Amino acid sequence: MNEEMDQFERRLSRQPLRRAPAEWRAEILAAARDAQAVQPAARVTHRSWLSILNTQFATILWPCPKAWAGLAAVWVLILAVDFSDRDRSRGLAENSAPPPPEVVAQLRLQQRMLTELIGPRESSDADQSKPLAPRPHTERLKILST
Amino acid sequence: MPRGPELERLYDEHAQALYAFLLNLTRDDADTRDLLQEIFVKLARDEKLLSNVRHERAFLIRLAHNAAIDLIRRRGTRERTRDNFAAEFSSPFAPASDPDEETFRANLSAALAELPPDQCAVVHLKLWEGLTFEQIAAALELSPNTAASRYRYGIDKLRGRLRPLYDEMKRTER
Repeated sequence: MNEEMDQFERRLSRQPLRRAPAEWRAEILAAARDAQAVQPAARVTHRSWLSILNTQFATILWPCPKAWAGLAAVWVLILAVDFSDRDRSRGLAENSAPPPPEVVAQLRLQQRMLTELIGPRESSDADQSKPLAPRPHTERLKILST
Repeated sequence: MPRGPELERLYDEHAQALYAFLLNLTRDDADTRDLLQEIFVKLARDEKLLSNVRHERAFLIRLAHNAAIDLIRRRGTRERTRDNFAAEFSSPFAPASDPDEETFRANLSAALAELPPDQCAVVHLKLWEGLTFEQIAAALELSPNTAASRYRYGIDKLRGRLRPLYDEMKRTER
């Protein structure tokens, strides 16, 4: 690679170049400084909603952090107790054995008797207006004996 | 991020060279100013831009070259007509008091404007920045051989275009 310059090239290299206008210096440096100053604001505007939320929370909780932490602990305790109770009752219901069919039949019979003696707890207006029909005495005795 | 005084130092040390280089490529004062400002705004914004740079001038020339090539591509049809109206574009040379010298500079300016931007960039860096082909290659991200061959092509075109005028000037000087 020959880097030697001939006479023509040397002549060209001696041609003086134009100077940059002096007023550009202040203008360009001012523009660069403005760009530098604008940058932090631009960063703030591009923050994610999560970081904004975090900042808001921090602002709210900052005055009395111990009180907020205590409140949060109480809530955690309440939720834990609630969940443990729910699990226990569900477990008991699942673990208990079904009652024998005789017991079920007896309970149903008692329930029916109670209904017949007391009458339905909630009856319609039409039923209430109807006069109670007298039952035969023998039938009443049969129900009582059973 | 270069602070105020650092930016000023960078401007004072490199702006003149970048200005001449950009003007030679763009041939437009307004475009040159815009690109020069773009470079300094970039330097001000990006704190890491110069952190690992060993040769500031070479790095800044690369920034300027990339910015100028982008601009030339954006110009499109406007750039394609550059050769036809080269004389109307801004000259990168200072005005001369001697009429012969002024004529030579005007012709040199027109001849440089006819070169492809890649050759013009290498010729400018070799002749007016005094860089070696290795330095030019590093600045423009080329191989040294490519830089040398672009320079040769460029110089040959300038020689062909300016030979009659140059020979005449040599005769009168004797």
